[in-house]
Amino acid sequence: MGAFITAKDLTKKYGDLTAVDRISFEIQEGECFGFLGPNGAGKTSTVRMIHCVSPVTSGTLTVKGMPAHIDNRAVKMMTGVIPQEITLDNDLTVTENLAIFAKFFDIPGREAKKRIAELLKFVELEAKRSSKIDELSTGMKRRLLVARALLNQPKLIIADEPTTGLDPQARHLIWQRLRQLKAQGTTLILTTQYMEEAQQLCDRIVIMHQGKILREGLPPKLVEEEIGREVIEIRINKDEDERLIGRLAPFACGHERVGDTLYFYCRDGHDILKKLVELDLPNTWTRPASLEDVFLKLTGRGLIE
Amino acid sequence: MNLSYRIYYVFLRNMVSYKRFVVPTFLVSLVEPLFYLITFGIGMGAYMGYFGGKPYLYFLVPGVLVSSVMMSSTFECLYGTFVKMVHEKLYDSLIATPVSAEDAVAGDIAWGAFRGLVSGSLMMLVAVIMGIIPVSIPSLLLLLVLMVFIGVLFASLAMIVTSVSPSFDFFNYYTELIITPMLFFSGVFFPLDKFPAWMQKLSEFMPLTHAVKISRAVFSGEYQAKYIWNFLIIFVLEIVAFVVGIRMMKKRLIK
Repeated sequence: MGAFITAKDLTKKYGDLTAVDRISFEIQEGECFGFLGPNGAGKTSTVRMIHCVSPVTSGTLTVKGMPAHIDNRAVKMMTGVIPQEITLDNDLTVTENLAIFAKFFDIPGREAKKRIAELLKFVELEAKRSSKIDELSTGMKRRLLVARALLNQPKLIIADEPTTGLDPQARHLIWQRLRQLKAQGTTLILTTQYMEEAQQLCDRIVIMHQGKILREGLPPKLVEEEIGREVIEIRINKDEDERLIGRLAPFACGHERVGDTLYFYCRDGHDILKKLVELDLPNTWTRPASLEDVFLKLTGRGLIE
Repeated sequence: MNLSYRIYYVFLRNMVSYKRFVVPTFLVSLVEPLFYLITFGIGMGAYMGYFGGKPYLYFLVPGVLVSSVMMSSTFECLYGTFVKMVHEKLYDSLIATPVSAEDAVAGDIAWGAFRGLVSGSLMMLVAVIMGIIPVSIPSLLLLLVLMVFIGVLFASLAMIVTSVSPSFDFFNYYTELIITPMLFFSGVFFPLDKFPAWMQKLSEFMPLTHAVKISRAVFSGEYQAKYIWNFLIIFVLEIVAFVVGIRMMKKRLIK
C-alpha cells in the first residue's frame, strides 16, 4: 500500500528566501506525524503545501495519490485544518462560525446542525454556543478551531501548533481530543515546538531546521540515538571544567558547557554517578534524556563529542 | 479562474454577519446621499429653476442614485475586505476549505455590489417619498439592474486597490484622488456642457459619467441607441476590473 502523503525534494521559496529546502518524507494512513523545529524552520510552509493553500515551488507532493495543488478542492474537502493563528470569524457567534464553515464544505443544513451539536459537546463548548468570539478565552477559541476543523469529518487533520498559548488544562483537553481522533483512524499531522506535545501525540517525527529535515524517527529512539539515556547537569564555575571533564568524560558519551551548566550525556549513568558521589559536588542533577535534548542538540547548539 | 457556486457561500457569510450591522449601515448609506439631495436638490435647486422642463431634483436624483451605489460598493471592498483579509484573517481560513481564493474574492465583490444596490434602493425610496419618481415601473426595475452592474464595477475596482494596499491609509489616495473627483466631474450635480472641451473629454474616461447618463435616461424614459455605447463601456471595464481584481487579490492571498 502506498503512503498517504509522499513528498520528494519538496521545496518552497518566497522570493529569495528558501523556506523548505528539498525535503522528502512519507506519511502513512492513520499515523500521527510530527514536524518539530524552532521558529522559521519551515514546518508551517510544509504543512501549508500539504493542505493545498500554498503552491509547491519545486519537487513533488502527493496527498492520497493526488498532486497537491492550490486548486485541488478534493484534498481540501477531506482535510481539517487547525491553524496556528486564531482565524475565527469575529462577526459571527460560535454556532454561526461552525454553520457557515459547514456550508463551505457543502454539508446540508440538517446534517450540519447535528454535527455542530456533537462537536460543541466534543470540545466542551456547549454552554458557549450563542456567544460571540470575543467573549471566549484563548483556550475556548482554540477548542472552537478544533471543532471547526472536524466539521467535514476529515481523513487528514493538520494541526499547526494547536496549543500555543494555552494553559495546561486546555492543552491536555486538546491532546486528548487529537488522540481520540487518531484512535478513530484519522491521519494526523502536527507541527509543534513543544517536545512534550510531540511525545504525547506523535508516532513518528522529523526535526526540521532552516528548511531541512535533520532527523526522522520514533521519538524514544531518536533520544536514545542522539543523546543516550541520562543527562547529568552540573551547575558549576567554568574554571572547574577541565578537572571535571578529565574525571568524568570517560564514563559519558558526550559533554557540553552551556552558560552556567556543564552537561554530561550517558547511555548508562551508573559509573558516572558513582564518580559523582566520590567528587561530592553540590548542585548536581540527574534526569532521563528527553526529546528536548535532541532538539537543542540538533537545532540550537553543537555538541562537543 | 477557479470560480464555482461557492461564491454564494461567501456572500451568505457576509449576509449572516451583516445582520448585526444592518441598522448602522442603513443609516450611513442613507445620510450622505440624503445630504446631497437636501443641500443641492432643495437648497441650491431653489435657485436653479427648471432643467429641461423639470425641477432640478429630477436632474439630480438619477445621478445621486448611481453615485451612492459607487460609494457603498467601493467602501465595502476597500475597508470591509481589508479588515477581513488582514485583521481577521478570514480569507486564510476560507481558502483552506473547498472555497477557492477566486470564489472568496468574487463572493466579496458580489457582496460589495449588493451593498451598493441596498444603498441605491434606499436612495430611490427617499426620492420616491420626496415625489421624484421614475417614469414607469420597467424604468424603475431597469435602474435596479443598472445599479447591480455599477456595483460590480466599483466593487471590482476597489478590489484592485485593496490587493495592493499596505494599510488603511492607502485607501485615501483612491477615495480622495479618484472617487471624490469622479463625483464632481461626472455630471451628477450639473451638466458638463459648460466645461471646457478637454475637461469634457476627461470626464469620458470616468465610468461614473457613463453610469449617470444611462441612469438619467432610464429615469425619465428617454431611451436612445447612443446609451448602448455608454453601457458597453461600463460593461467591458467591469469585466476587466473583475478579472484583474480577482487575479491580484489571489496573488496577495496565496503565497
